Amino acid sequence: MTFRELNNVQLDTLKELSNIGMGHAATALSQMIGQTVNLRVPHITITEISQVPEYLGGAEKLIVGITLQILGDARGSIMLLFPQDSAHYLLCNLLGHQEKGLIMNEVNVSALKEVGNILASAYLSALGNLLDKTMIPSIPMLAYDMAGAVVDYVLINLSQSGDLAMIVETDFSGDSDQDFAVKGHFFLLPDPATLDIFLNVTGEPHE
Amino acid sequence: MSERVSIAQARIDRAPEVLKAYGLGSCLAVSLYDPEAGIGSLGHMLLPCRPEKTPLGSESKYVDTGIYQMVDELVRAGANRERLVAKITGGANMFETVYQTLINSIGARNARSARVTLAELGIPLLGEEVGGNRGRTVEFDLASGNMMVYCAREVGQISI
Repeated sequence: MTFRELNNVQLDTLKELSNIGMGHAATALSQMIGQTVNLRVPHITITEISQVPEYLGGAEKLIVGITLQILGDARGSIMLLFPQDSAHYLLCNLLGHQEKGLIMNEVNVSALKEVGNILASAYLSALGNLLDKTMIPSIPMLAYDMAGAVVDYVLINLSQSGDLAMIVETDFSGDSDQDFAVKGHFFLLPDPATLDIFLNVTGEPHE
Repeated sequence: MSERVSIAQARIDRAPEVLKAYGLGSCLAVSLYDPEAGIGSLGHMLLPCRPEKTPLGSESKYVDTGIYQMVDELVRAGANRERLVAKITGGANMFETVYQTLINSIGARNARSARVTLAELGIPLLGEEVGGNRGRTVEFDLASGNMMVYCAREVGQISI
């Protein structure tokens, strides 16, 4: 199955799955930072791999990226991207006092990885329950660098099976009534070979 | 003037144009240059080797086939094959983890593949700025053949 062959029902299925998974992840995040977390309706983009960095707001923008591989019955990657100020805000919230700028020392890196781990685990366990499949997140990996450089690792994995990437993207943001609203992007990049597992939930024939 | 080279793309141009590749992680940027003709090409590759059995996607996605393709196109555009020189940048390992084997450092493999391919073609490799765990942006100046490398988190720039 390739990404191009997906019909609207299947795309909607993926959106809904992601929405449910993200709902759980947002609850987890909200509990961590004590702030309401709002979700945007997920959108799916099927794009040339070469266009992905542009899509993320420019290849040179500094971001914090946390990536996990999905292991178990379905394969793919999860990528969580935080703008610098949101990563900084998360750290202030989780660890207390921080320097003015974002500093990536061992404790901070570990804390952000843990955020990634909690969000991805909440997301995958909701998805797994729904699909009756086992999906386990790998150890989180973190990079703080240019967006293009951070995402190309995931693109490399994808590009081994084609020139297209499918991104199921959910934006989330904290309550805007507060001084600062945390923002982030959550990406699900399913491996085309195991896409069927995600789609089987509808019972739609899709050969 | 500057022209952007995105992932899985190679671009040919002449002096005084500047070719740019933004946000290289484990991707590799390869420049080929004919100093006398002032013509050069910058490629932005993703994977080390094109699989023989099931080749997927464009040739410029792979370091080995991409370099061959760049050489062909440069010669067609009027460059002298014998005068070509190469430089490479990128090939980082962005996510340093304990379990390296899962990544098997694709960046390092990209750089290795480029060295092997260039040696096969007999093109001298004049400089490289590869490895580490930093993202890079590359500017390839076709007037001088210089490659400027910028890192986001380190001050300054490197010229090769």
